Amino acid sequence: MFLSIEPDGPVPIYQQIRDRIVEAIAGGRQPVGSGLPSTRQLAVDLGVNFHTVNKSYDLLRREGLLRLNRKSGAVVQRDAGSGPPSPDWAQDWAGRLETLLAEAAAQGMPADEIITHCRAAIAAFAFPADAEEHAPGHRTAIEGRP
Amino acid sequence: MSAGSLVAAFAAPFYGALFCVFPAVTKPTVQFGVRVPPERTGAAVIGDQRRAYYWRTAVIGVCCTVVAVLLAVHGSRWLPVLVVPIEVAADTGCLLAARRRITEVKRAERWFAGLRQTVIADTRWRADPPRFPVRWLTPALAVVAATIVIGVVRYPELPGRLTDGFRAWAAPGHRVPKTPVTAFAIVFAQLWVTALWTGMMLIIYRSRPDIDAADPADSVRRYRRFLVRCTTGMLALVTLIDLSLLLAALRNWQVYRLAGASTALPLLPYAAGLLVVMAALLRSGQGGFRLAADGIDSGEPTDPGKRAALADRDDDRFWKGGLIYVNRDDPALMVCARFGIGWTFNLANPAAWLFLSAIAGVPAGLVIIAALTR
Repeated sequence: MFLSIEPDGPVPIYQQIRDRIVEAIAGGRQPVGSGLPSTRQLAVDLGVNFHTVNKSYDLLRREGLLRLNRKSGAVVQRDAGSGPPSPDWAQDWAGRLETLLAEAAAQGMPADEIITHCRAAIAAFAFPADAEEHAPGHRTAIEGRP
Repeated sequence: MSAGSLVAAFAAPFYGALFCVFPAVTKPTVQFGVRVPPERTGAAVIGDQRRAYYWRTAVIGVCCTVVAVLLAVHGSRWLPVLVVPIEVAADTGCLLAARRRITEVKRAERWFAGLRQTVIADTRWRADPPRFPVRWLTPALAVVAATIVIGVVRYPELPGRLTDGFRAWAAPGHRVPKTPVTAFAIVFAQLWVTALWTGMMLIIYRSRPDIDAADPADSVRRYRRFLVRCTTGMLALVTLIDLSLLLAALRNWQVYRLAGASTALPLLPYAAGLLVVMAALLRSGQGGFRLAADGIDSGEPTDPGKRAALADRDDDRFWKGGLIYVNRDDPALMVCARFGIGWTFNLANPAAWLFLSAIAGVPAGLVIIAALTR
Protein backbone atom coordinates (compact mmCIF):
# COMPACT_ATOMS: atom_id res chain seq x y z
CA MET A 1 0.00 0.00 0.00
CA PHE A 2 1.24 3.47 -0.88
CA LEU A 3 0.51 5.96 1.87
CA SER A 4 0.78 9.58 0.75
CA ILE A 5 0.67 12.73 2.84
CA GLU A 6 1.09 16.43 2.18
CA PRO A 7 3.37 17.58 5.04
CA ASP A 8 2.95 21.27 4.19
CA GLY A 9 -0.84 21.02 3.62
CA PRO A 10 -3.55 22.52 5.87
CA VAL A 11 -4.60 19.17 7.40
CA PRO A 12 -2.47 18.03 10.39
CA ILE A 13 -0.08 15.22 9.43
CA TYR A 14 -1.41 12.79 12.05
CA GLN A 15 -4.92 13.29 10.66
CA GLN A 16 -3.70 12.67 7.09
CA ILE A 17 -1.99 9.41 8.12
CA ARG A 18 -5.14 8.31 9.94
CA ASP A 19 -7.33 9.21 6.93
CA ARG A 20 -5.11 7.33 4.44
CA ILE A 21 -5.17 4.18 6.61
CA VAL A 22 -8.97 4.37 6.97
CA GLU A 23 -9.25 4.71 3.16
CA ALA A 24 -6.92 1.72 2.67
CA ILE A 25 -9.04 -0.39 5.05
CA ALA A 26 -12.27 0.64 3.29
CA GLY A 27 -10.68 0.00 -0.13
CA GLY A 28 -9.68 -3.56 0.85
CA ARG A 29 -5.94 -2.84 0.65
CA GLN A 30 -5.56 -3.42 4.40
CA PRO A 31 -7.99 -6.23 5.35
CA VAL A 32 -8.60 -7.49 8.89
CA GLY A 33 -5.47 -9.13 10.28
CA SER A 34 -3.06 -7.31 7.96
CA GLY A 35 -0.16 -5.52 9.59
CA LEU A 36 1.04 -1.95 9.30
CA PRO A 37 4.65 -0.79 9.72
CA SER A 38 5.77 0.04 13.26
CA THR A 39 5.44 3.70 14.28
CA ARG A 40 9.21 4.14 14.03
CA GLN A 41 9.42 2.60 10.54
CA LEU A 42 6.49 4.60 9.18
CA ALA A 43 7.94 7.79 10.70
CA VAL A 44 11.26 7.11 8.92
CA ASP A 45 9.48 6.32 5.64
CA LEU A 46 7.41 9.51 5.75
CA GLY A 47 10.16 11.69 7.24
CA VAL A 48 7.96 12.84 10.13
CA ASN A 49 8.32 12.78 13.90
CA PHE A 50 7.56 9.37 15.33
CA HIS A 51 5.16 10.91 17.90
CA THR A 52 3.04 12.06 14.93
CA VAL A 53 2.62 8.47 13.69
CA ASN A 54 2.03 7.33 17.27
CA LYS A 55 -0.83 9.83 17.53
CA SER A 56 -2.41 8.51 14.30
CA TYR A 57 -2.16 4.88 15.41
CA ASP A 58 -3.58 5.74 18.82
CA LEU A 59 -6.51 7.53 17.17
CA LEU A 60 -7.20 4.46 15.00
CA ARG A 61 -6.96 2.22 18.07
CA ARG A 62 -9.55 4.32 19.92
CA GLU A 63 -11.82 4.13 16.84
CA GLY A 64 -11.54 0.33 16.99
CA LEU A 65 -9.84 -0.02 13.60
CA LEU A 66 -6.37 -1.00 14.84
CA ARG A 67 -5.03 -3.33 17.50
CA LEU A 68 -1.65 -2.36 18.91
CA ASN A 69 0.64 -4.66 20.82
CA ARG A 70 4.35 -5.05 21.33
CA LYS A 71 4.69 -8.42 19.60
CA SER A 72 2.56 -8.14 16.47
CA GLY A 73 2.78 -4.33 16.08
CA ALA A 74 -0.17 -2.54 14.48
CA VAL A 75 -2.80 -4.90 13.06
CA VAL A 76 -6.09 -4.00 11.35
CA GLN A 77 -9.00 -5.04 13.58
CA ARG A 78 -12.09 -4.07 11.55
CA ASP A 79 -12.95 -3.70 7.87
CA ALA A 80 -16.01 -3.62 5.61
CA GLY A 81 -16.69 -7.31 6.30
CA SER A 82 -16.61 -7.04 10.10
CA GLY A 83 -20.35 -6.48 10.51
CA PRO A 84 -22.29 -3.33 11.37
CA PRO A 85 -20.73 -0.74 13.71
CA SER A 86 -22.19 0.13 17.10
CA PRO A 87 -25.35 2.35 17.07
CA ASP A 88 -23.52 5.11 18.97
CA TRP A 89 -20.75 5.23 16.37
CA ALA A 90 -23.27 5.20 13.49
CA GLN A 91 -25.19 8.10 15.04
CA ASP A 92 -22.01 10.11 15.53
CA TRP A 93 -20.88 9.39 11.95
CA ALA A 94 -24.30 10.42 10.54
CA GLY A 95 -23.90 13.76 12.32
CA ARG A 96 -20.45 14.33 10.80
CA LEU A 97 -21.69 13.26 7.36
CA GLU A 98 -24.57 15.74 7.58
CA THR A 99 -22.11 18.54 8.30
CA LEU A 100 -19.87 17.45 5.41
CA LEU A 101 -22.80 17.36 2.97
CA ALA A 102 -24.08 20.66 4.34
CA GLU A 103 -20.74 22.26 3.49
CA ALA A 104 -21.18 21.23 -0.16
CA ALA A 105 -24.78 22.44 -0.25
CA ALA A 106 -23.82 25.73 1.43
CA GLN A 107 -21.18 26.27 -1.28
CA GLY A 108 -23.89 25.84 -3.93
CA MET A 109 -23.08 22.34 -5.15
CA PRO A 110 -26.17 20.78 -6.81
CA ALA A 111 -27.70 17.69 -5.18
CA ASP A 112 -26.95 15.56 -8.27
CA GLU A 113 -23.28 16.46 -8.11
CA ILE A 114 -23.13 15.70 -4.37
CA ILE A 115 -24.63 12.25 -5.04
CA THR A 116 -22.20 11.67 -7.94
CA HIS A 117 -19.28 12.41 -5.61
CA CYS A 118 -20.69 10.05 -2.97
CA ARG A 119 -21.13 7.27 -5.55
CA ALA A 120 -17.58 7.74 -6.85
CA ALA A 121 -16.19 7.51 -3.31
CA ILE A 122 -18.23 4.41 -2.45
CA ALA A 123 -17.19 2.77 -5.74
CA ALA A 124 -13.61 2.68 -4.45
CA PHE A 125 -14.60 0.75 -1.30
CA ALA A 126 -14.40 -3.05 -1.07
CA PHE A 127 -17.71 -4.24 0.35
CA PRO A 128 -17.92 -8.00 0.83
CA ALA A 129 -20.14 -9.75 -1.74
CA ASP A 130 -22.51 -11.18 0.89
CA ALA A 131 -23.04 -7.73 2.38
CA GLU A 132 -24.09 -6.45 -1.06
CA GLU A 133 -26.66 -9.26 -1.36
CA HIS A 134 -28.16 -8.93 2.12
CA ALA A 135 -28.00 -5.20 2.76
CA PRO A 136 -30.41 -3.15 0.59
CA GLY A 137 -28.71 0.05 1.72
CA HIS A 138 -25.38 -1.13 0.37
CA ARG A 139 -26.93 -2.27 -2.93
CA THR A 140 -28.38 1.21 -3.48
CA ALA A 141 -25.15 2.88 -2.51
CA ILE A 142 -22.97 0.93 -4.95
CA GLU A 143 -25.12 1.31 -8.02
CA GLY A 144 -22.54 3.62 -9.52
CA ARG A 145 -19.61 1.19 -9.13
CA PRO A 146 -17.87 0.31 -12.42
CA MET B 1 58.20 9.23 -8.62
CA SER B 2 56.79 8.10 -5.24
CA ALA B 3 53.73 5.88 -4.80
CA GLY B 4 51.87 8.83 -3.26
CA SER B 5 52.44 11.14 -6.23
CA LEU B 6 51.57 8.32 -8.67
CA VAL B 7 48.23 7.72 -6.93
CA ALA B 8 47.49 11.47 -6.90
CA ALA B 9 48.20 11.65 -10.64
CA PHE B 10 45.49 9.00 -11.21
CA ALA B 11 43.08 10.38 -8.58
CA ALA B 12 42.88 13.83 -10.21
CA PRO B 13 41.31 12.63 -13.52
CA PHE B 14 39.12 10.13 -11.62
CA TYR B 15 37.53 12.77 -9.37
CA GLY B 16 37.39 15.24 -12.27
CA ALA B 17 35.41 12.77 -14.40
CA LEU B 18 33.21 11.80 -11.45
CA PHE B 19 32.14 15.39 -10.71
CA CYS B 20 31.68 16.11 -14.40
CA VAL B 21 29.14 13.29 -14.92
CA PHE B 22 27.24 13.73 -11.62
CA PRO B 23 24.41 15.92 -13.04
CA ALA B 24 23.72 13.24 -15.68
CA VAL B 25 23.27 10.52 -13.05
CA THR B 26 21.15 12.59 -10.65
CA LYS B 27 17.35 12.39 -10.89
CA PRO B 28 15.79 14.90 -13.31
CA THR B 29 13.57 16.17 -10.47
CA VAL B 30 16.63 17.11 -8.39
CA GLN B 31 18.95 19.42 -10.33
CA PHE B 32 22.17 20.54 -8.62
CA GLY B 33 20.56 19.87 -5.24
CA VAL B 34 17.40 21.84 -6.12
CA ARG B 35 14.00 20.09 -6.08
CA VAL B 36 12.23 20.62 -9.40
CA PRO B 37 8.60 19.72 -10.30
CA PRO B 38 8.35 17.12 -13.13
CA GLU B 39 7.00 19.65 -15.67
CA ARG B 40 9.96 22.02 -15.05
CA THR B 41 12.79 19.53 -15.65
CA GLY B 42 13.23 20.95 -19.15
CA ALA B 43 13.46 24.59 -18.01
CA ALA B 44 15.94 26.74 -19.96
CA VAL B 45 17.89 27.72 -16.84
CA ILE B 46 18.57 24.04 -16.03
CA GLY B 47 19.93 23.34 -19.54
CA ASP B 48 22.12 26.48 -19.40
CA GLN B 49 23.52 25.62 -15.97
CA ARG B 50 24.22 22.01 -16.95
CA ARG B 51 26.20 23.08 -20.01
CA ALA B 52 28.14 25.66 -17.98
CA TYR B 53 28.83 23.08 -15.26
CA TYR B 54 30.09 20.45 -17.75
CA TRP B 55 32.51 22.94 -19.32
CA ARG B 56 33.78 24.32 -16.01
CA THR B 57 34.35 20.92 -14.36
CA ALA B 58 35.94 19.51 -17.54
CA VAL B 59 38.43 22.41 -17.66
CA ILE B 60 39.16 22.05 -13.91
CA GLY B 61 39.65 18.28 -14.31
CA VAL B 62 42.08 18.65 -17.24
CA CYS B 63 44.08 21.43 -15.52
CA CYS B 64 44.33 19.52 -12.22
CA THR B 65 45.37 16.31 -14.00
CA VAL B 66 48.14 18.13 -15.92
CA VAL B 67 49.39 19.82 -12.73
CA ALA B 68 49.30 16.55 -10.72
CA VAL B 69 51.20 14.63 -13.44
CA LEU B 70 53.82 17.41 -13.82
CA LEU B 71 54.36 17.56 -10.06
CA ALA B 72 54.60 13.75 -9.86
CA VAL B 73 57.10 13.58 -12.75
CA HIS B 74 59.27 16.22 -11.07
CA GLY B 75 59.51 14.00 -8.00
CA SER B 76 57.41 15.99 -5.56
CA ARG B 77 55.98 13.67 -2.89
CA TRP B 78 53.24 15.78 -1.26
CA LEU B 79 52.28 18.53 -3.73
CA PRO B 80 50.41 16.13 -6.13
CA VAL B 81 48.36 14.88 -3.17
CA LEU B 82 47.16 18.45 -2.51
CA VAL B 83 45.80 18.78 -6.06
CA VAL B 84 42.81 16.47 -5.43
CA PRO B 85 41.27 18.45 -2.49
CA ILE B 86 41.74 21.67 -4.47
CA GLU B 87 40.00 20.06 -7.47
CA VAL B 88 37.09 18.82 -5.32
CA ALA B 89 36.69 22.29 -3.77
CA ALA B 90 36.65 23.94 -7.22
CA ASP B 91 34.07 21.43 -8.55
CA THR B 92 31.90 22.00 -5.47
CA GLY B 93 32.09 25.74 -6.22
CA CYS B 94 30.75 25.04 -9.74
CA LEU B 95 27.89 23.01 -8.23
CA LEU B 96 26.98 25.79 -5.78
CA ALA B 97 27.02 28.42 -8.55
CA ALA B 98 24.60 26.35 -10.68
CA ARG B 99 22.42 25.66 -7.64
CA ARG B 100 22.17 29.35 -6.74
CA ARG B 101 21.09 30.33 -10.27
CA ILE B 102 18.42 27.60 -10.54
CA THR B 103 17.10 28.46 -7.06
CA GLU B 104 16.76 32.13 -8.04
CA VAL B 105 14.67 31.28 -11.12
CA LYS B 106 12.64 28.68 -9.19
CA ARG B 107 11.70 31.27 -6.56
CA ALA B 108 11.03 34.05 -9.07
CA GLU B 109 8.75 31.86 -11.22
CA ARG B 110 7.20 30.02 -8.22
CA TRP B 111 7.65 26.56 -9.74
CA PHE B 112 5.78 24.74 -6.96
CA ALA B 113 2.80 27.12 -6.80
CA GLY B 114 -0.50 25.21 -7.01
CA LEU B 115 1.10 21.76 -6.96
CA ARG B 116 0.20 19.07 -4.44
CA GLN B 117 3.52 18.37 -2.72
CA THR B 118 3.41 14.86 -1.36
CA VAL B 119 5.56 12.38 0.49
CA ILE B 120 4.82 8.70 -0.19
CA ALA B 121 5.62 5.63 1.92
CA ASP B 122 5.32 2.07 0.67
CA THR B 123 4.10 -0.13 3.54
CA ARG B 124 4.98 -3.25 1.52
CA TRP B 125 8.64 -2.23 1.72
CA ARG B 126 8.63 -3.05 5.44
CA ALA B 127 6.47 -6.14 5.10
CA ASP B 128 8.59 -7.57 2.26
CA PRO B 129 12.01 -5.86 2.46
CA PRO B 130 14.80 -6.76 0.02
CA ARG B 131 17.13 -9.39 1.49
CA PHE B 132 20.65 -8.33 2.38
CA PRO B 133 23.05 -10.31 0.10
CA VAL B 134 25.06 -11.87 2.95
CA ARG B 135 26.83 -14.33 0.62
CA TRP B 136 28.59 -11.37 -1.07
CA LEU B 137 30.32 -10.78 2.28
CA THR B 138 31.94 -14.24 2.22
CA PRO B 139 34.87 -13.35 -0.14
CA ALA B 140 35.82 -10.35 2.02
CA LEU B 141 35.78 -12.46 5.19
CA ALA B 142 37.81 -15.17 3.41
CA VAL B 143 40.49 -12.60 2.45
CA VAL B 144 40.66 -11.32 6.05
CA ALA B 145 40.90 -14.89 7.38
CA ALA B 146 43.68 -15.68 4.88
CA THR B 147 45.57 -12.55 5.95
CA ILE B 148 45.32 -13.56 9.62
CA VAL B 149 46.52 -17.12 8.90
CA ILE B 150 49.49 -15.90 6.81
CA GLY B 151 50.34 -13.32 9.49
CA VAL B 152 50.29 -15.90 12.30
CA VAL B 153 52.52 -18.23 10.24
CA ARG B 154 54.96 -15.44 9.31
CA TYR B 155 55.09 -13.70 12.72
CA PRO B 156 57.83 -15.86 14.40
CA GLU B 157 60.16 -15.42 11.39
CA LEU B 158 59.76 -11.63 11.15
CA PRO B 159 62.79 -9.49 12.09
CA GLY B 160 62.84 -7.27 15.19
CA ARG B 161 61.98 -4.12 13.23
CA LEU B 162 59.13 -3.98 10.69
CA THR B 163 57.82 -1.57 8.05
CA ASP B 164 55.30 0.71 9.78
CA GLY B 165 51.91 -0.71 8.78
CA PHE B 166 50.23 2.67 9.29
CA ARG B 167 52.80 4.65 7.27
CA ALA B 168 54.05 2.07 4.78
CA TRP B 169 52.44 3.87 1.83
CA ALA B 170 53.58 7.41 2.77
CA ALA B 171 56.98 6.57 4.32
CA PRO B 172 58.14 3.18 3.00
CA GLY B 173 61.50 3.31 4.75
CA HIS B 174 60.12 3.96 8.23
CA ARG B 175 60.62 1.02 10.65
CA VAL B 176 59.04 0.22 14.00
CA PRO B 177 59.73 -2.49 16.63
CA LYS B 178 57.92 -5.81 16.08
CA THR B 179 54.82 -6.19 18.25
CA PRO B 180 51.46 -7.89 17.54
CA VAL B 181 49.90 -4.42 17.03
CA THR B 182 52.50 -3.25 14.49
CA ALA B 183 52.67 -6.62 12.71
CA PHE B 184 48.87 -6.97 12.40
CA ALA B 185 48.04 -3.28 11.81
CA ILE B 186 46.82 -4.06 8.31
CA VAL B 187 44.54 -6.84 9.58
CA PHE B 188 42.91 -4.27 11.90
CA ALA B 189 42.46 -2.02 8.86
CA GLN B 190 40.81 -4.89 6.94
CA LEU B 191 38.43 -5.60 9.82
CA TRP B 192 37.58 -1.91 10.13
CA VAL B 193 36.87 -1.48 6.39
CA THR B 194 34.77 -4.67 6.25
CA ALA B 195 32.78 -3.84 9.40
CA LEU B 196 32.30 -0.19 8.41
CA TRP B 197 30.94 -0.85 4.93
CA THR B 198 28.83 -3.81 6.00
CA GLY B 199 27.35 -1.70 8.82
CA MET B 200 26.70 1.19 6.44
CA MET B 201 24.94 -1.06 3.93
CA LEU B 202 22.83 -2.63 6.70
CA ILE B 203 21.74 0.85 7.82
CA ILE B 204 20.97 1.74 4.20
CA TYR B 205 18.82 -1.42 3.91
CA ARG B 206 16.74 -0.14 6.83
CA SER B 207 16.47 3.40 5.45
CA ARG B 208 13.53 4.58 3.36
CA PRO B 209 13.34 3.99 -0.38
CA ASP B 210 13.48 6.96 -2.72
CA ILE B 211 9.90 7.11 -4.05
CA ASP B 212 8.76 9.52 -6.76
CA ALA B 213 5.36 11.01 -5.97
CA ALA B 214 4.47 11.07 -9.67
CA ASP B 215 5.36 7.41 -10.22
CA PRO B 216 5.58 5.51 -6.91
CA ALA B 217 5.17 1.92 -8.16
CA ASP B 218 7.88 2.10 -10.84
CA SER B 219 10.27 4.11 -8.66
CA VAL B 220 10.03 1.48 -5.88
CA ARG B 221 10.81 -1.29 -8.41
CA ARG B 222 13.82 0.64 -9.68
CA TYR B 223 15.04 1.48 -6.18
CA ARG B 224 14.87 -2.19 -5.20
CA ARG B 225 17.14 -3.14 -8.10
CA PHE B 226 19.44 -0.18 -7.39
CA LEU B 227 19.79 -1.15 -3.71
CA VAL B 228 20.74 -4.74 -4.57
CA ARG B 229 23.19 -3.56 -7.25
CA CYS B 230 24.76 -1.02 -4.88
CA THR B 231 25.13 -3.51 -2.04
CA THR B 232 26.65 -6.27 -4.13
CA GLY B 233 28.95 -3.71 -5.78
CA MET B 234 30.09 -2.28 -2.45
CA LEU B 235 30.66 -5.71 -0.89
CA ALA B 236 32.71 -6.72 -3.98
CA LEU B 237 34.68 -3.50 -3.58
CA VAL B 238 35.28 -4.28 0.11
CA THR B 239 36.74 -7.65 -0.98
CA LEU B 240 39.11 -5.87 -3.37
CA ILE B 241 40.12 -3.34 -0.67
CA ASP B 242 40.85 -6.26 1.68
CA LEU B 243 42.84 -7.89 -1.15
CA SER B 244 44.87 -4.68 -1.61
CA LEU B 245 45.54 -4.65 2.13
CA LEU B 246 46.55 -8.34 1.99
CA LEU B 247 49.08 -7.51 -0.74
CA ALA B 248 50.38 -4.62 1.40
CA ALA B 249 50.60 -6.95 4.42
CA LEU B 250 52.59 -9.53 2.41
CA ARG B 251 55.04 -6.77 1.48
CA ASN B 252 55.33 -5.69 5.15
CA TRP B 253 55.86 -9.30 6.19
CA GLN B 254 58.69 -9.51 3.63
CA VAL B 255 57.03 -12.13 1.42
CA TYR B 256 58.04 -9.93 -1.56
CA ARG B 257 59.83 -6.58 -2.04
CA LEU B 258 58.86 -3.46 -3.99
CA ALA B 259 60.63 -0.11 -4.41
CA GLY B 260 59.77 3.39 -5.73
CA ALA B 261 56.51 3.88 -7.61
CA SER B 262 55.92 0.11 -7.67
CA THR B 263 55.02 0.28 -3.95
CA ALA B 264 51.61 1.47 -5.22
CA LEU B 265 51.02 -1.91 -6.93
CA PRO B 266 49.00 -3.39 -4.02
CA LEU B 267 46.46 -0.63 -4.71
CA LEU B 268 45.69 -2.05 -8.17
CA PRO B 269 42.81 -4.40 -7.10
CA TYR B 270 41.14 -1.52 -5.22
CA ALA B 271 41.60 0.95 -8.10
CA ALA B 272 40.28 -1.51 -10.70
CA GLY B 273 37.30 -2.43 -8.48
CA LEU B 274 36.51 1.23 -7.82
CA LEU B 275 36.40 2.00 -11.55
CA VAL B 276 34.15 -0.99 -12.34
CA VAL B 277 31.75 -0.40 -9.42
CA MET B 278 31.48 3.34 -10.11
CA ALA B 279 30.79 2.67 -13.80
CA ALA B 280 28.01 0.19 -12.87
CA LEU B 281 26.44 2.62 -10.37
CA LEU B 282 26.65 5.58 -12.73
CA ARG B 283 24.80 3.52 -15.35
CA SER B 284 22.04 2.84 -12.79
CA GLY B 285 21.56 6.53 -11.96
CA GLN B 286 20.74 7.80 -8.47
CA GLY B 287 17.99 5.67 -6.92
CA GLY B 288 18.08 3.50 -10.07
CA PHE B 289 16.16 6.02 -12.18
CA ARG B 290 17.98 4.81 -15.30
CA LEU B 291 17.12 1.14 -14.66
CA ALA B 292 14.19 -0.69 -16.21
CA ALA B 293 11.32 -1.08 -13.75
CA ASP B 294 9.86 -4.27 -15.19
CA GLY B 295 10.32 -7.76 -13.85
CA ILE B 296 9.72 -6.97 -10.19
CA ASP B 297 6.30 -6.95 -8.57
CA SER B 298 5.98 -4.04 -6.15
CA GLY B 299 2.19 -4.12 -5.84
CA GLU B 300 -0.10 -1.37 -6.97
CA PRO B 301 0.43 0.19 -10.40
CA THR B 302 0.43 3.97 -10.57
CA ASP B 303 -2.79 5.51 -11.85
CA PRO B 304 -1.66 7.57 -14.90
CA GLY B 305 -4.38 10.14 -14.14
CA LYS B 306 -2.85 10.88 -10.75
CA ARG B 307 0.77 11.20 -11.95
CA ALA B 308 0.52 14.70 -13.31
CA ALA B 309 -1.27 16.03 -10.23
CA LEU B 310 1.43 15.07 -7.71
CA ALA B 311 4.91 16.46 -7.14
CA ASP B 312 7.60 15.54 -4.62
CA ARG B 313 7.72 17.80 -1.59
CA ASP B 314 9.86 20.91 -2.06
CA ASP B 315 12.36 20.07 0.70
CA ASP B 316 15.22 22.36 -0.32
CA ARG B 317 15.18 24.06 3.10
CA PHE B 318 16.47 20.86 4.74
CA TRP B 319 19.48 20.62 2.38
CA LYS B 320 22.32 22.96 3.31
CA GLY B 321 24.22 23.90 0.17
CA GLY B 322 22.14 21.28 -1.64
CA LEU B 323 24.43 18.57 -0.24
CA ILE B 324 24.06 18.31 3.56
CA TYR B 325 20.77 17.05 5.00
CA VAL B 326 19.67 18.52 8.34
CA ASN B 327 16.03 17.85 9.34
CA ARG B 328 15.14 17.64 13.03
CA ASP B 329 11.64 16.28 12.35
CA ASP B 330 12.95 13.39 10.26
CA PRO B 331 14.01 10.37 12.36
CA ALA B 332 15.90 8.85 9.39
CA LEU B 333 19.61 8.23 9.93
CA MET B 334 20.49 8.03 6.22
CA VAL B 335 18.67 9.35 3.17
CA CYS B 336 19.35 9.29 -0.57
CA ALA B 337 21.98 11.85 -1.57
CA ARG B 338 20.85 14.93 -3.49
CA PHE B 339 23.84 15.14 -5.84
CA GLY B 340 25.68 12.17 -7.32
CA ILE B 341 25.10 8.55 -6.30
CA GLY B 342 24.50 7.01 -2.89
CA TRP B 343 23.26 8.08 0.51
CA THR B 344 24.08 10.72 3.10
CA PHE B 345 23.57 11.18 6.84
CA ASN B 346 20.81 13.27 8.39
CA LEU B 347 23.07 15.45 10.53
CA ALA B 348 20.15 16.46 12.77
CA ASN B 349 20.06 12.86 14.04
CA PRO B 350 22.46 12.41 17.01
CA ALA B 351 23.13 8.81 15.87
CA ALA B 352 24.67 10.22 12.66
CA TRP B 353 27.29 12.08 14.73
CA LEU B 354 27.96 8.94 16.77
CA PHE B 355 28.49 6.97 13.56
CA LEU B 356 30.72 9.65 12.02
CA SER B 357 32.74 9.80 15.27
CA ALA B 358 33.20 6.03 15.11
CA ILE B 359 34.34 6.25 11.47
CA ALA B 360 37.01 8.80 12.38
CA GLY B 361 37.68 7.55 15.92
CA VAL B 362 38.53 3.90 15.25
CA PRO B 363 41.52 4.52 12.93
CA ALA B 364 42.67 7.42 15.13
CA GLY B 365 42.49 5.12 18.18
CA LEU B 366 44.47 2.40 16.37
CA VAL B 367 47.21 4.88 15.45
CA ILE B 368 47.40 6.08 19.09
CA ILE B 369 47.54 2.49 20.41
CA ALA B 370 50.28 1.68 17.88
CA ALA B 371 52.24 4.79 18.94
CA LEU B 372 51.92 3.90 22.64
CA THR B 373 53.09 0.31 22.12
CA ARG B 374 56.32 1.35 20.31
